[in-house]
Amino acid sequence: MKVDGVCGMGPRSTGATVTLAIGAWAAACCAAGAAPDISGTYWATTYSPKIQVVGGGEAPLNAAGKAAYEKNQAGLKDGSIVDKARRVCVPDGMPRVLATPYPFEIFQMPAGQVTFLYEMNHQVRVIVMDKPLPSAEALIVDPKYNGHSIGRWDGDTLVVESAGFNDVTFLDASGLPHSDEMTTVERIRKVGNELEDVITVHDPEMYAKDWQARFVYDARNDVRVEEYACNDTHRDLSSVKGVRAR
Amino acid sequence: VKEKPMTKHHASPACLRAGATVPSALAVPAACFLVTLVATLGAFPALAAEAPATGAPPGLDLSAPGVAWAGFVAPKAPDYAVARLFNDFASPAAGLGPVTDGPAHPYANNEVAREMKIPPTFRVADLDNTAGKNLMPWVREALAKQNALVLAGKNGETREARCWETGVPAFHLNPGAMHIIQTPKEVVLFLTGRTRHIWLNVPHSANPKPSWYGESVGRYEGDTLVVDTIGFNDKTFVDSYRTPHTDKLHVVERFRLTDSGNTLEVAFTVEDPGAFYQPYSGTRNRHRVVNPNNRLPEPDCSAANDDYFNIGLEPVPTAEKSEF
Repeated sequence: MKVDGVCGMGPRSTGATVTLAIGAWAAACCAAGAAPDISGTYWATTYSPKIQVVGGGEAPLNAAGKAAYEKNQAGLKDGSIVDKARRVCVPDGMPRVLATPYPFEIFQMPAGQVTFLYEMNHQVRVIVMDKPLPSAEALIVDPKYNGHSIGRWDGDTLVVESAGFNDVTFLDASGLPHSDEMTTVERIRKVGNELEDVITVHDPEMYAKDWQARFVYDARNDVRVEEYACNDTHRDLSSVKGVRAR
Repeated sequence: VKEKPMTKHHASPACLRAGATVPSALAVPAACFLVTLVATLGAFPALAAEAPATGAPPGLDLSAPGVAWAGFVAPKAPDYAVARLFNDFASPAAGLGPVTDGPAHPYANNEVAREMKIPPTFRVADLDNTAGKNLMPWVREALAKQNALVLAGKNGETREARCWETGVPAFHLNPGAMHIIQTPKEVVLFLTGRTRHIWLNVPHSANPKPSWYGESVGRYEGDTLVVDTIGFNDKTFVDSYRTPHTDKLHVVERFRLTDSGNTLEVAFTVEDPGAFYQPYSGTRNRHRVVNPNNRLPEPDCSAANDDYFNIGLEPVPTAEKSEF
């Protein structure tokens, strides 16, 4: 048995020494066949301003987290804190962007990259597939709203690790807080005609333990992702449950 | 037509996961090591050949990994002709071109100022040259007002600098790096937080919803991407001089590579029977830059563009209320 073609290694790998173990590994590894394809346009059918924690209940805030959440909620209510993501359209940050009621598009290109393009404020997320995360030092000097992300395929699932977030975003529209120490892991896969993204939030500065949220989107290749200008009206969202009527 | 991505690497995590199913515990790490080694040596050169399907002709592959298209690359020695095009269109060799500055108020952008060691100025449109005379009276009037503001020390920033969506062809003016994704279905242009979609091989919609970048449809003609755009709103300017237009604006852009693939030329023709007497043309060249670490930037223009010094800057685009 040759390694050629195993997991798409390509013709360069034909010369490798081959063992039975590799054969067994290959069979286990590549049962799914071709590389997963999650490219296309997606659109959520529901929206919740408050993030829905897997298993129900509230996100497990610690004391610092509770204080920050109360401060955010009070500030958003009395206007002393401006929700800049909505007001002047800076990026939402993670995982708030995952709750978007607007369509988004996934490109598995250029090679070595998976690109998420959101209609809302044309936010982009670049999932780097061919490099590790930048060093901790590099992340500190270059924090991003949506963080720095790397990905790898685990069977049919795109596993995305993100770090290097700035600390000026909320985790949801209710003002759920996070620190710039937050890291996230997402498991993204297609299930039938849906895309599922299960995100694990790790932020010991604000939360007593890790917690998860799950987002599901319909594949909508009949929809074109449109432009988005902050000071304009945008597409009709009446098909998205939970969006308040205009 | 659906693209078939063939990005196949990162053997090692799958390898580790699969390890549990392999009979010999000892054999797994060795096998994985071997496969990882093979992946490292073999898969990456193979990647270039197995790049995702772009639908682009070989002579117009604009979306290779790490490649972006810079609107300006500083010349090694001061060069007025180069610096001048920092964020302006080039006029055509013959025929009508875009609005420009004139001898009365030569424009020195920041790059010109830096290179030529002269003070920078803001743009004052020449309304008396051929491009100026091509403007319908209401457009001339709007530009005359804008000129007066600038000469009074006000409103000299471009709309783009105030984070507004730029429209077409003004989209191309930004001197930053343009990233491009090409699929068989569409071409997406990313330029410093702004995004345009070009839908390939489809006709225009019957009644496109008026929008900032209009509705762009495109097709490859040989090694040239030809893009036809209509369906604009009337809220943008066609250039950095704040030349307005109507919703009858129609822009045709031709993207092609010159200079052995190192220059992306975007030649365009603008027509608007509500604003310009005759169609006019212009060009914007971008330069191939390769930096694998230079990925798409986040669109956060308005994060750092408050009017900190209360000098009456045009406000950044602001949503009065959330739509959901």
